[in-house]
Amino acid sequence: MTDRDDLDMLAAEFVLGTLDARERASVAMRRHSEPDLEALIVAWEQRLGPLAEEVVPVAPTPGLYKRIEQKINALEEKQARSTHDDNDRVISLHKRLRRWQWSTALASASAMMLMAVLIFQPTQEQGPQSFVAVFQENDQQPAFMLSVDLTNRQMHIRPVTAEPMQGKSYQLWIKADSLGPNPRSVGVLNENLKLDRTALRSYDPELLKEATFGISVEPEGGSPTGQPTGPAIHGYLYPTLDGESGQQL
Amino acid sequence: MPEPFSSSTTHRAGSGPDLPPLPASATELGHLLQRVATGDRSAFAKVYEATVPKLLGTVLRILNNRGWAEEVVHDVYIKIWQKAGQFDAGKASPITWMVTIARNSAIDELRKQPARGRAPEEELEQVLSTEPNAQSRLEDQQTVNRLNLCLEELEKDRRDMVRMAYLNGWSRVDLATHFDQPVNTIKTWLHRALKQLKGCLSP
Repeated sequence: MTDRDDLDMLAAEFVLGTLDARERASVAMRRHSEPDLEALIVAWEQRLGPLAEEVVPVAPTPGLYKRIEQKINALEEKQARSTHDDNDRVISLHKRLRRWQWSTALASASAMMLMAVLIFQPTQEQGPQSFVAVFQENDQQPAFMLSVDLTNRQMHIRPVTAEPMQGKSYQLWIKADSLGPNPRSVGVLNENLKLDRTALRSYDPELLKEATFGISVEPEGGSPTGQPTGPAIHGYLYPTLDGESGQQL
Repeated sequence: MPEPFSSSTTHRAGSGPDLPPLPASATELGHLLQRVATGDRSAFAKVYEATVPKLLGTVLRILNNRGWAEEVVHDVYIKIWQKAGQFDAGKASPITWMVTIARNSAIDELRKQPARGRAPEEELEQVLSTEPNAQSRLEDQQTVNRLNLCLEELEKDRRDMVRMAYLNGWSRVDLATHFDQPVNTIKTWLHRALKQLKGCLSP
């Protein structure tokens, strides 16, 4: 008997239902990562499916649908609440962030003031992979907002109160432990204060979640040294739900 | 291998004039599932109406306990609500997709709590007395007939094993007890029966 036959019989018994709990759980797990196994299972479901024809239909008790609907309502409320909780987490992260930004970041890079970053991680496993960082100037108004979608590694930076400056450029930096002690340039914002949406594409999503971002003011065209040289704007966390510009935390 | 479920909407006439009308054709159910995937509650209610007797019948036959079966069917419809977007009409008919979710859930529950509410020997008469398929309501009659012909070609014990397992959720161990054979022998018999079925069903 070949391995292929063994796999086919495993699929057949999974569909037939004769495996024990442990074997069933193992096949249920494996089918997600083994397309061959998945295809064999689907083929057996097609072969044996007509057997279900002889099942005699049974009317449910009248309250069953209502219970199902109530459960769906409860699940949807829970989901809405957990989105709200995420926003609370963003706010609580803020304190930790501020402490951090003035110690670690400043200590490691002399000429620059890397500002902060944010980025929050949704608690829902299947939740959105969207993160937002707000860059604050003078602790007053947000200067820029950066949103990052980890699923397709697209980023979008938009100025809030920041204005183009004559003879100067804004430059976006990323800093993460795995990238070494120094910030790395993500790119120089153009005259409309925009940056290519794919500028973060080469970074691993896990790294992006941990990374710190900063925006510094540089000579026109970007830093001549490869490191931030000018004053930096610092970051601040904002909720994403009612997170339009200008809301003070 | 041909798509066995692809024409299930077109064979209603072949089911005979005596049968009650289909609750919903496969095509209608497929469209309803697409709406369910977008969060459409009224489509979900229609899917439920059309399919719950079949799914409850499927689960009840495996679990043999009404209250337990309704608990499982409850969870099955939650899964259908959540996974409707994964339904792929190219892989299965809507009813087959839903019955598969129901059977998998029922068998998983039964394997977790084998002692809850069932008495395999008492079911036996029902299994053996049911003629292999009387009616076709939600599936293509030709596909059903084809499987039945192939089942008829199996030795009686092998045919009974396949039906007891598929319809009543019997495990290898349950079958070994009933046939008074070692579990490994049952496994060998099952594999032979399944291969023979596969060969018979292949074009």
